[in-house]
Amino acid sequence: MHTRNFSIIAHVDHGKSTLADRILERLGAMGERDKRDQTLDTLELERERGITIKSTPVRLTYTRPNGETYTLNLIDTPGHVDFNYEVSRSLAACEGVLLLVDASQGVEAQTIVNAYLAIDNNLEIVPVVNKIDLPAADPEGAARELEEVIGIPADQAIFASGKTGVGVDDILEAIVERIPEPPGDPDAPLKALIFDSFYDAYQGVILFVRVLEGTVRAKDAITLFSNGKSFDVDKVGTFSPGLVVGQELRAGAVGWIAASIKDIHDAQVGDTITAKDQPTTEPFPGFKPAQPVVFSGLYPTSTEDYRRLREALEKLKLNDAAFVFEPETSEALGFGFRCGFLGLLHAEIIQERLEREYDLDLIATAPAVVYRLTLTNGTVFETQNPAEFPTRDRIELMEEPYIKLSVMLPEEYVGPVMQLLVERRGSMITMNYVGKRVELLYEVPFAEILYDFHDRLKSISRGYASMDYEQIGYREGDLVKVDILVQAEVVDALAVIVHRDKAYSLGRKIVDKMAEVIPRQMFPVPIQATIGGKIIARATVKAYRKDVLAKCYGGDISRKKKLLDKQKKGKARMKNIGTVEVPQEAFLAVLSTEEG
Amino acid sequence: MTHPDPERTVRHLYVHVPFCPSICPYCDFHVLTRRAGQVEAYLRRLREEAHELAGRYDVDLDTVYLGGGTPSFLRDDEIADLVDAVRGTLGWGRAENTLEVNPGTVSPERAAHWRGLGFDRASVGVQSLDDDTLRFLGRRHDARGAAAAVTTLLERDFRVSGDLITAVPGQPLERDIDGLVSLGVEHVSAYTLTIEPGTEFARRGVTVAEEDEQRGFDVTARLLAERGFERYEVSNYARPGARSRHNLAYWTNRAYLGLGPGASGHYPVPGALTERRTNPHLHEWLTGDAGEAEPSAPEDYVTDALFMGLRLTDGVDLADLSRRAGLDVRARYGEVIEAERRAGRLTLDGDRLRTTDAGRWVLNDVVRSFLNA
Repeated sequence: MHTRNFSIIAHVDHGKSTLADRILERLGAMGERDKRDQTLDTLELERERGITIKSTPVRLTYTRPNGETYTLNLIDTPGHVDFNYEVSRSLAACEGVLLLVDASQGVEAQTIVNAYLAIDNNLEIVPVVNKIDLPAADPEGAARELEEVIGIPADQAIFASGKTGVGVDDILEAIVERIPEPPGDPDAPLKALIFDSFYDAYQGVILFVRVLEGTVRAKDAITLFSNGKSFDVDKVGTFSPGLVVGQELRAGAVGWIAASIKDIHDAQVGDTITAKDQPTTEPFPGFKPAQPVVFSGLYPTSTEDYRRLREALEKLKLNDAAFVFEPETSEALGFGFRCGFLGLLHAEIIQERLEREYDLDLIATAPAVVYRLTLTNGTVFETQNPAEFPTRDRIELMEEPYIKLSVMLPEEYVGPVMQLLVERRGSMITMNYVGKRVELLYEVPFAEILYDFHDRLKSISRGYASMDYEQIGYREGDLVKVDILVQAEVVDALAVIVHRDKAYSLGRKIVDKMAEVIPRQMFPVPIQATIGGKIIARATVKAYRKDVLAKCYGGDISRKKKLLDKQKKGKARMKNIGTVEVPQEAFLAVLSTEEG
Repeated sequence: MTHPDPERTVRHLYVHVPFCPSICPYCDFHVLTRRAGQVEAYLRRLREEAHELAGRYDVDLDTVYLGGGTPSFLRDDEIADLVDAVRGTLGWGRAENTLEVNPGTVSPERAAHWRGLGFDRASVGVQSLDDDTLRFLGRRHDARGAAAAVTTLLERDFRVSGDLITAVPGQPLERDIDGLVSLGVEHVSAYTLTIEPGTEFARRGVTVAEEDEQRGFDVTARLLAERGFERYEVSNYARPGARSRHNLAYWTNRAYLGLGPGASGHYPVPGALTERRTNPHLHEWLTGDAGEAEPSAPEDYVTDALFMGLRLTDGVDLADLSRRAGLDVRARYGEVIEAERRAGRLTLDGDRLRTTDAGRWVLNDVVRSFLNA
């Protein structure tokens, strides 16, 4: 029997999950009874946000019109820049991809980045112009853009609609004809790539693997290349999309392995599995351990929830090798955790899951990137925590992380977007014209796009610009720590590290925003921003406005009491700093989108 | 403490006179400009209602309060008829009988007439002794007329309370207070101007400046204290012994009768706690419609008592309140009391719960904490 391993890649909202559903439906993998939209997006949050976080594989059987039967392994990939490494590993498990482009939107930034990921992995690309049923669809235009930008001949594009099912048969034939049979010798030493995993309470970590060479069966002893740890295989199997137990996985197969692995960090995405007795000499290239790039403090609103928060974080970590946390203590916020994420979306998802699935009320501090500091005594250390930032006299060299940013936009917005990129300390690498649209490539400090960049980009371009980025290492930067004082006391959890040129405007923005979001207090409360003890901005939280009835006599009791009763206090997420009640928004004042 | 024990005898009566010569732009009370035949119908129904109340409750009056509206706007024979209706059914107040008086309605003869009917205390709507401020407030009287009214009532042996509206833009507050005090009043009710929804001020978009409000609230208290007046309630100040006994009944959550359209009463309920009932407005009230009673559960009784009682400088005696309500207030509301104490808004001294100055400024918020608990 023949096999084809493929992924679908696309810009967000270009209809990947819907098209995947049509393919599954066409191949009978979804009974009419349990059909629901976007089957592959299983996490509730994924469904709500319309994005895919976990790679969900499914094994399909396709019988061609000529009677030949094929096994198709479809590996769904995460759809956000935070998870680009996971995407590249999922692609490495395939021989080809369907590159989806929305017929009305054309090529977007993520289309390009994903296409290059596929090219880097030597994959066969099957271009698909999707959503051709839309009134605004321009399938030929979209195909032309694919040719111009990525160099895929326009006449290879298949026109399809995930909504109506048009083109699905052509896609299936193209998968069989254009994507090569997976190579590999089932009798060679075992070499399998882990492209995802999840934690199961009964079986331990379930590894999602692509077998590149050799064969794996239950009771085999396997070794993980990166750490040398060995495990006995309990079960192997395939996806339908649920887990189905099988006999073996041979070279070319996509499937799962359960080997009683207790810690998901022993089974990282991108690692290579081999046989303990007869190991392969070379691992699959490109493995890098998951590296958090964005950090933020998470604190329970009420201190009694500390234990519950720790338990919840531990549970999430079981299933997410990219997520790290360690205990942290803040004078202002008490006991909490410093958490590391792959990006802002990853951070938001974790926080939302903690609140939704574990019913926790949290205060999150402003997200920070990892800075690299060379001290005067020659030691180099990395920190993402403003609280650990040393004083200026101890620092020899300060460096901050940079990204290569790709922005795709209609040409009429190029001016304002370039202006925005200058404000964000970006420098242009190149600019490419694609028909009436432009791709801007910039080097930008990561910290500058962390907060409100995407929102600003969208608003400046009326929603037409799209972006993607990758980390490109460190560059020197003149950084300062801005402290925030509430009632003349430094609040450690509010400190931010920022480029010197931005310190004054950011300080101003933070104190103004805080004075706006902190509710009026019993007494006026000064909010100050300082650098090295020097005040750079100040604002005041006003005292309560009079809130007492001037007149209250016999006739007023029922009516006026009912009025008060209606104004019941909302359950606000507050933290007391000294005698001042500070709401969650204040800790994220630095994220506010208004430009100072 | 399962048997509530509120007082069973009603000792206070409020009579509402809904007529005014004109409607003030800040007023949200039930008031009407008078029309032909309405006052006669009003007096007829009032007599009936007084009969009904006398038949239903054990009444032994300490205080009577004739408010409005503008009771002093009633003609001499009309007010005599009203007093007769009350005296013949419910009796008259043993300790204090107050008439609300509009300065423009006072003459020496009328003052003597009122005194002769049995009123011994007058609450005069002075509002200000500055003509610009009075004009802004839409009052028909001027400063001289207000001063003359107070003097006339004092000469006829009335105890006089003067109403003052503070926090009015441009108001010479210190001069207003000095003027009122020097006229010889023994009691001052000073209200910061409040823009109530539905009033003319609200429609015109009038707002009260925060600084004016602060001054009206705090400076008034300081100036009056310096002149021998004690703030015994959020907006009320008295020379020693001159507190309003009638209004204290409201603030201490006692039972009282409400007579007339739009009047509210707080009534004992045999075998239970109390109930509140507000009469409908004039038209429905004339048909004999008595409005719907709202029974007080122990928690309602307690939060009513706190809502009103925390307005008093003396605060609330929690042991007494617990006994009357049949609910252990300290057990039920202990957490709120402790939190408000820590926030510096309440103090607890033995059984006496009081607001601090800071708590008085945001008393609604303190009360909301109890309502939320």
